[in-house]
Amino acid sequence: MKKALSVIMVVVVMFLASFTVVRSASAEEVKITGVITKIEMAADKKSAIAVLKDNKSGESVTITITDDLTLDKFKDHRIVDGDEIRTKFEKEGDKNISKMFKKTAGC
Amino acid sequence: MSGKIITIMLGCALLTTTVQAKEHPGKEQILKDGYQGPKTCEVCHPGKAKEFLGTVHWKHASKADHVDNLNHKEEHGMKNRIYTMCNGNDIVNNLKEIPPNAAGKTKFSGCNTCHPGDHTIDVGSTGPEAEQSIDCLICHSTKYDFRKRKIVKDDKGNVVMTQDRSTEAAANIGRPSIKNCMVCHEAAGGGALVKRGFSMTKEADVHVSKGIICVDCHQAKNHKIPTGRDPNNWASDGIYMTCVGECHSEKPHKDAGINKHTAKIACQTCHIPRTGGAFSKDFTKWEKMSNGFYEPSTLKREVNETAPVYAWYNLTVSNTPHFIGPKGSRTDGKSKIYPFKLFQGKAYYNKKDGQLLSMDFAPPMATGDTLAGVASAAKILGIKDYEPVPGWQTIYFGSNHQVAPKGKALGCANCHSVNGVLNLKELGYSAKEVEKLTTPEIYFEKLLKLQQENE
Repeated sequence: MKKALSVIMVVVVMFLASFTVVRSASAEEVKITGVITKIEMAADKKSAIAVLKDNKSGESVTITITDDLTLDKFKDHRIVDGDEIRTKFEKEGDKNISKMFKKTAGC
Repeated sequence: MSGKIITIMLGCALLTTTVQAKEHPGKEQILKDGYQGPKTCEVCHPGKAKEFLGTVHWKHASKADHVDNLNHKEEHGMKNRIYTMCNGNDIVNNLKEIPPNAAGKTKFSGCNTCHPGDHTIDVGSTGPEAEQSIDCLICHSTKYDFRKRKIVKDDKGNVVMTQDRSTEAAANIGRPSIKNCMVCHEAAGGGALVKRGFSMTKEADVHVSKGIICVDCHQAKNHKIPTGRDPNNWASDGIYMTCVGECHSEKPHKDAGINKHTAKIACQTCHIPRTGGAFSKDFTKWEKMSNGFYEPSTLKREVNETAPVYAWYNLTVSNTPHFIGPKGSRTDGKSKIYPFKLFQGKAYYNKKDGQLLSMDFAPPMATGDTLAGVASAAKILGIKDYEPVPGWQTIYFGSNHQVAPKGKALGCANCHSVNGVLNLKELGYSAKEVEKLTTPEIYFEKLLKLQQENE
């Protein structure tokens, strides 16, 4: 009886754990397209925030950017206010951490 | 990896760091006198501006003797080509202000936005005025301020591309960095990493992760840039590059059995196992974007998200209205198997002669009316007798970047298995040969030994 109870407990725990993992992996990744209304570099230049006006909802979304490639584009103004951006980010605490941040325009 | 290759890579990395960190010898003079465009550069580099006007970066075209069905006496390239990744070109889709959209908004658009001139002195122009309009700093400065490169109308109504000619940008020059190249090469074909889908980052390319930059391989001589042999990249400066040279020998592997493959298998086939970017576009139906303008409908994949196709390639190109791709065969004695990014695009063809029609993007960008774009392009080109009908074109792009780390290159079983990546039957092998080429007998002992070493 004790052994059977242990097995049931393990199964229940594993089920709940897998549910939690799947939920966090799939629910937290967000993709939006929108126009930049503000870019603000951190004082140490190792991160920046960009505020995008989501094309679909019209709401302002603040994204935190930490990858060097995008930060460099902010520094030399290849990406500026008014550019339309396609971005993918993950919610980590109260921050939206960018996983992809690309201009939609091309030639 | 052999000690020689490691030494060369470390050397390249060190050289890159040194070159990038080294100040331009003329910096003090530029800071003192300021920058007046190419004539400032020419004080120490006489003749370089005129030299640059003869390159593909300026002309967007060259002779393309290796491509079928072209007039080989004329030059071909982005200036005048028509194909379905870019249904326009510098002529029909010249940089201009597009008509207002439904919301009354307009914008500037055109294929030649990447041209390193000022647009009033345009693609392929020559003479002293053209020489002085070159934007040297966009390729050579690490401090270029892109707010200063913008499209405006001058007081005569001409569309002008402005440049950053500041002293600060000019004082910080050197060999072009990856960034300098990717300013234009990243956004070709309608957006970031769309056309060829390669990203020059250390995460995506093993060469970059070793500190190698674009111009370490594409070593320019007198502003002429060597390129690979992409069947869809027609214009070139007439100099070509291969993997074999300073960094890699003709027998680059320790294993003689693998080295035997290099006679018939291109390096890229095993070492560039993935591709990415757009794999299909429809120029007959444009999507309305959230900003109120229209763009060609495009199906895209991320970098390294797509499997390439493989074909024999003898470095000459089949060019028909519905196919642009490699020519070659198992038996011609010249071909090797290469990987390609497969792309299929839909656009309008002229029912009367079967040729692909071009499109001026200005009308469809404003209203979505693609036939108006065809009509405008036909007018520009003087084509009167045409009847547009939709059709598809297949294009094979060369897959020459995104070199994978050694551990992620294709191994024996990736090709020599029944469900391997190579379609051996389509590559010209008989059923009996396919059976012989896909037995584990070929690789079993070797892979077992490797497996035991790694356990």
